[in-house]
Amino acid sequence: MNRAALLWRMASFAIAAGFVALWQLIANLNLVSPVFLPGPDRAWTALVRGFSSGDLWSKLAGTLEHMAYGWLAASIAGIAIGAIIGSSRMMRTYVAPSLEFLRPLPVSAIIPVAIAMLGLTQAMALFVIAFGAIWPIMLATIHGFAAVEPRLYEVARSLQMSRLAVIFKIALPSASPDILAGMRLSLTVALILSVVCEILAGLDGLGHWVLLSARAFRSADLFAGVILLGVTGYVTSVAMSLAEHRLLAWQAAQR
Amino acid sequence: MASAAKRLDVVPGTPAPQVSFEAVTLQLGGKTIIENLSLGVRPGEFLCIIGASGCGKTTALRLAAGLYQPTSGKVNFDGQRMREPRREIAIVFQDYGKALLPWRTAAGNVSLALEAGGMPSAERLARIEELLRTVGLPGHAGKYPSEMSGGMQQRLQIARCLAQEPKTLLMDEPFGALDAMTRQGLQDEVLSLVAASGATVIFVTHDLEEAIYLGDRVIGLLPHPGRIGIELAVNLPRPRDQLSTREHPEFLRLRRQLFDFIKATEQ
Repeated sequence: MNRAALLWRMASFAIAAGFVALWQLIANLNLVSPVFLPGPDRAWTALVRGFSSGDLWSKLAGTLEHMAYGWLAASIAGIAIGAIIGSSRMMRTYVAPSLEFLRPLPVSAIIPVAIAMLGLTQAMALFVIAFGAIWPIMLATIHGFAAVEPRLYEVARSLQMSRLAVIFKIALPSASPDILAGMRLSLTVALILSVVCEILAGLDGLGHWVLLSARAFRSADLFAGVILLGVTGYVTSVAMSLAEHRLLAWQAAQR
Repeated sequence: MASAAKRLDVVPGTPAPQVSFEAVTLQLGGKTIIENLSLGVRPGEFLCIIGASGCGKTTALRLAAGLYQPTSGKVNFDGQRMREPRREIAIVFQDYGKALLPWRTAAGNVSLALEAGGMPSAERLARIEELLRTVGLPGHAGKYPSEMSGGMQQRLQIARCLAQEPKTLLMDEPFGALDAMTRQGLQDEVLSLVAASGATVIFVTHDLEEAIYLGDRVIGLLPHPGRIGIELAVNLPRPRDQLSTREHPEFLRLRRQLFDFIKATEQ
């Protein structure tokens, strides 16, 4: 890292620290009742207490599990369906308009439908999370498959490559930057929907923890849960960026 | 190349063409691109096709590659009708930037052809190294195409085509996008590679001198629709030399003839 980048990094940490300090000041001055707003000190204590008692670990594991299963299901289905639609012009022409209708549909609107059909179950959560997270992945895959350089298909033909080899050696790698970008967007969607499902269906997880803490006026626990959710979103997105960076090293060479 | 010797001894005395066009007509989108084209290319021959832009020379090459099927007539390879592309026919595209896989290194790009040919992975590494050395890219195995110059990328594409062990090598203006010095170097390399492998070559170019310098025979196409307008045998000694061949009276005579032909087609 060069000097300028280091300075920027330090500045961003300083600003974050400033926000925490401001939060502490507001809490100390009792501008908001401590019943609703704990200071960072109390939130931190609650966080440590939650982890040492083991409660938060299991809640965190629950949320991560919902998120991971939903996201993985969305990824597999999204890439598979996207590949089928994206590699055929006819499919794109016929199916794309229906997708455009479904895509902007707020996923929260289908939660009651899912509950009605599947009940307040893990299956319902999996369905809702996967349904919400599939769109960015599927649309990115369609775009990626549609944009494969036609010349490469000719190379594949003159090499007499099999259909399967063409998909795995030409189309998928060519579409991978789009697909990975879609998967990164979906990660956030999956986290949001995990929390929503936990709150609505009372499934074990941080969403449920946050809801119960709020109802019991345990504001420090509430904030501990919110902080933990923020950290989860941040860490998963950083991990995804690292994976993207590694998998797409060839793109860095291109620039 | 080990298999090269095997192929060479098939050549003498075999008049049967390796690639032949029999009254080939191709229509695309209601337009006749090529009309009634008949043509035979002997095994081991270096045939160059020239012509003004839009005369269908690239299309003719794509027909030979099996990437297009003729509307009427036949394209044969080794006496068999071509219905789809085959691995024994390799094609070097002009736009090397699009024909290489940007996510694979130089070694990986060559490997693609070996994988398609079903070579076991244990044998690939040595073969890749050998091919990269053959085209003058030793030590670049780990580079991505985007890290290479245009000339290097075109060498890489040629290496991938050689990995197919082609009987026929089709080249579509392969050096059109390269600067003059790089082009001359690659012309000589292609000549020595082809001499070593004994492959038949059909080479499309708009550079008249390049066609004479490389070819055993030069065919000039007339446009709208594409058909043969001139056919010249090139009786210049081999190996060719960038200076003395280009100063040879026969070279100058052929160049004049082709130049007049092109000028006439443009009027």
